[in-house]
Order: sequence, then C-alpha cells, then structure tokens
Amino acid sequence: MTEKPETPQAELSSTEDMQDPNDPILAGRPGVSHGRFDSLLGWSCNRLGWIGWLTRRQARFLLIMLGASWGVIYESLRAHSWRRTVRYEFISTMNDIIRGGFVATLFAGVLTGVAAVSQVIYWLGLTGLATMTGSILINVVVREIAPILVGMLLLGRNGMLSTTELGLLTIGGEVRSMQAVGVDPFLLLVMPRTLAFTVAGFTLGILFSFASLVTGYVMSRLTGVISSPVWTFLDSVVTAMSGMDYAIIPLKFITVGFVVGLGGCLTGLTATRHDTLRSLLPRGFSRGMLIVMVVSVLFSLDL
Amino acid sequence: MDTYTAGPLLELNKAVPSFEESGLPPRPMSLRLMAGDCFVVEERDPQRATMFADMCSGLVPLDAGQVSFMGLDWTEMKDRQLNALRGRIGRIARRPSWPGFVPMHLAIMLQQLHHTTRTQDDLLAEAARLAASFGLPGLPTQAPDRMSDADLCRAGCVRAFLGRPHLLLLEDPLEGGPQELANPFLEALTEARDRGAGIIWLVRNAAVWQRYRTGVTATWRLADDGLVAVRMG
Repeated sequence: MTEKPETPQAELSSTEDMQDPNDPILAGRPGVSHGRFDSLLGWSCNRLGWIGWLTRRQARFLLIMLGASWGVIYESLRAHSWRRTVRYEFISTMNDIIRGGFVATLFAGVLTGVAAVSQVIYWLGLTGLATMTGSILINVVVREIAPILVGMLLLGRNGMLSTTELGLLTIGGEVRSMQAVGVDPFLLLVMPRTLAFTVAGFTLGILFSFASLVTGYVMSRLTGVISSPVWTFLDSVVTAMSGMDYAIIPLKFITVGFVVGLGGCLTGLTATRHDTLRSLLPRGFSRGMLIVMVVSVLFSLDL
Repeated sequence: MDTYTAGPLLELNKAVPSFEESGLPPRPMSLRLMAGDCFVVEERDPQRATMFADMCSGLVPLDAGQVSFMGLDWTEMKDRQLNALRGRIGRIARRPSWPGFVPMHLAIMLQQLHHTTRTQDDLLAEAARLAASFGLPGLPTQAPDRMSDADLCRAGCVRAFLGRPHLLLLEDPLEGGPQELANPFLEALTEARDRGAGIIWLVRNAAVWQRYRTGVTATWRLADDGLVAVRMG
C-alpha cells in the first residue's frame, strides 16, 4: 500500500522529479527557487557555448584560408600543376573577370574621379596647398579607396559567382564525382580561379586608378581649377610616389584579388548539404567584405 | 592501354567501410577482380551502390581491411598518386556528375584532358566515335542542363569508356535509360574486357543483366551482412 503525502509540501516534493525545472509556472513556486538559478546557469552556459561555437567556426575558416593560400602559391609554382584543364580554367576565369568588369571598373573610376579627385584638387587649390595634391591623391585615392572599391567590384561580380557555382557543385555532388575520377577540385577550380582573380585585381586596380585620376583632372580643367597640361598633373602624382609606393600599391591590388578569389572559392567548396543559396550567398558576401577590409587595414597599419 | 597482369586489378581484402561516412554495412567485404573480369553487384539502393563504387575508388574510409587497385593500397598513397590512379577508372554514376562551368564536350573529355597528354584532336575523334556508337548525333557542345536525361545517359557512357580505362565502375545506365542503349552498352562492355579492363556493373535487379549472363564472371549482392556471392545457376 502506498502512503499518501500528508502535506502539500510533501506532495510537491514527490512530483518534483517528474517536472521540468525550467518550467516558468513552477519557477514561481516557493519550493523550486533553485530551478531559477539553474536555468540562469544553463542559459549562460548555452550562450557561452554558442559564442565558443561561433569563434571556432570563424577561426576554422581563417585557418582554411591560410592553408589554402599556401596551397595555391605552392601548387602554382609547380609546372606539373598547370595541366590543360587548369590552364583553360585560369584563362576563361581571367577573361570573364577582366572583360566583364572592365566597363564597371572604368565607370567606378570615373565616378570616383568626379566625386573625390576633382574635389581634392579644388579644395587644396583653394587653401593654397596645391603642391600636396599628388601626395594626397596617391595616399587616399590610389592606396586606400581603389583597392577597396576594386575588391568590392570583384566580390560582387565574380566572387559571388564562384561561391554560388562551387557551392552548388559541392552540394549537388559534382565535386565528389570529380574526386572519384581523380580530378582534384582544388587544383582544377580553386588554384586557377584564385590566380585569375589576382591578375584581374591588379589589372582592374590600375585601370581604376588611372580612370579616376584622369577624370579628376578633366573635371578640374573644365571648371578652371587648374590650367596645367595633363602631363604636368600626372608628373606631380608620380613624383609624389615614394619608392615603397611602387611596391605597396600593386601588392595591395594583387592581395585583394587573391583573397577575394580564394575566399569565394573556399566558401563554395566548404558548403555542406545543409546549405542552400539562402545561407551560402550572405556568408560569402560578408566574408568577402571582411577580407577586403582586413587586407586594406593591415596594409595601412604597417606601412 | 596495357593490360594489368601482375595480380588482381581490384581487390577488397576484408574491407570494412565506415558506416558513418558511407551508410554501407560495416561488414568485412572481400572481392578479387582480375583484368577482363566482369562482376555484377546487385544493390537496390542507388545511394549505397554509389558508395560501394566510391569504396572501390578509395573514397570511403575503412574501419578495417584494405582496398587495392592495380596492387596499390588506396590508404598508402598520397594525393597526387591517388588522383593519378583514379584517372584510370571510368565511371557511370547515378549522382550528378556534370559540372556546369564547361560545355558538354569538354565535360566528357575533362578526365582525359586532365590526366593525359593525348592531343585534343585525338580525344575529340575518339569521343565522337563513341558518341555515335551510343546513339548521339554527334559530340554535344551545349551546357549539361540543356540536355535530356536520355542524352545525358548516353554522354555518361561516352565519358566512362573514353580513354580505355583499366577499371569501369558502372552504375547501371540501362535501367531508366533509353531502350536502344542496351546493345551499344553491351558491345562497349565486351570490347573493354577484351582489351583487359575489369568491370564492376552495379545493378538494381537481376533482370537487367540477364542478356549478358554468359559474359558475367561472377555475381554478388550487397546485403546488410556484407558482400554476398550469388550462385549464377
């Protein structure tokens, strides 16, 4: 025979084991005040766990990026890696990026020339600091603005395309099918595309810089702010460049192209079967933007 | 293609596939495929059939045992060797295998272009000959997503037999494929065996391969208790 609990308190303790301690109704009762503390602890642990998971997840991609960067450089230096299929992929991707991005980059350069370069020339002339024009244009437009804008154009036009293409191939199983017949997706897709982005980053970066400077000069000449010929203006810009600028500016364009290409390809290639375009595209875009900004800041910090 | 005569072309030696990675039964599987042999493996589940073919290609991690191709254990090779060896395998797969970033004729020749130094004209000529024999009007040049399922099936056969591979892992193209594909497929199968290729033909049921019954060396069934030999009767 089972004894019935004599008091309401006893009744409560006998049923406690079966009830959820996180139950918000039970949480209000006097006998379960420990539950509230436990639930707070559990909530904190969950949040901490989530932060840890997020940190590991982000660090994972960074480590993959570092490893893959080395892989691309190492493989690209081996003659054996440059098979017909790899060369085909490199040339076709490079053509796509440079031909496709030519007009957009030129247009962006012209707009920057109108909005930034001509304004710099105007205000420096007005304040009597015209001799600093070349130095400021090099440091602001060519070294800082151009790599970021070219990186964004590369990311939007072709980086996202690579993410989508490789993501769909990975999710669909085509990448696995390639591996099954010995076609390494890193060698066939990641390496040539990253190098194509690198070459395109340099090409479009120089194009952008040239277009913005010439447009800035033309605008200033049309509005009568300067009267010197274009060669004098370009000479003042070139004279303002230090020896280090000749290395840093191309290096920055090259690095931006490299990381945008690699980041886009790796985001696609590391997609899981749970991923869809809805999750892949925002991830690829935010990673790409972050990478461009980090590269830009790193170059600005050191030099 | 030189015929491999130094031992079994493909050998599964008490290989236990990882269940987590493949979904295949974690039981020891043994099989010895010699050059010129044709093994039929019955498996109703297409995904498991694909995984079995992956296991033969060294793509599935093993819990025990070993899988060797041309006398080389897949697990003991580095990436470059692995890929070079996999380049000698012709496959017809059920899962999507047509990359959309190249036109169809390049997708068909991709494996050969990647692994060999044969001239493109030479490859085009062989691919065109195979395409005609499998019932295609020519070598397709459009994007894979613009082709019908039947033509993709034919193109899959062209790709698998192109370049005279040493091993053919064929997930049955006849079931669900065009009816008129049967004869050229069986002819290509015989031709490949005659020149020393080993063949594993994965089918869903026995009805498919009955026409080729006399040519089949052995029949197996992929069951829950592993790879079981089936009496041909």
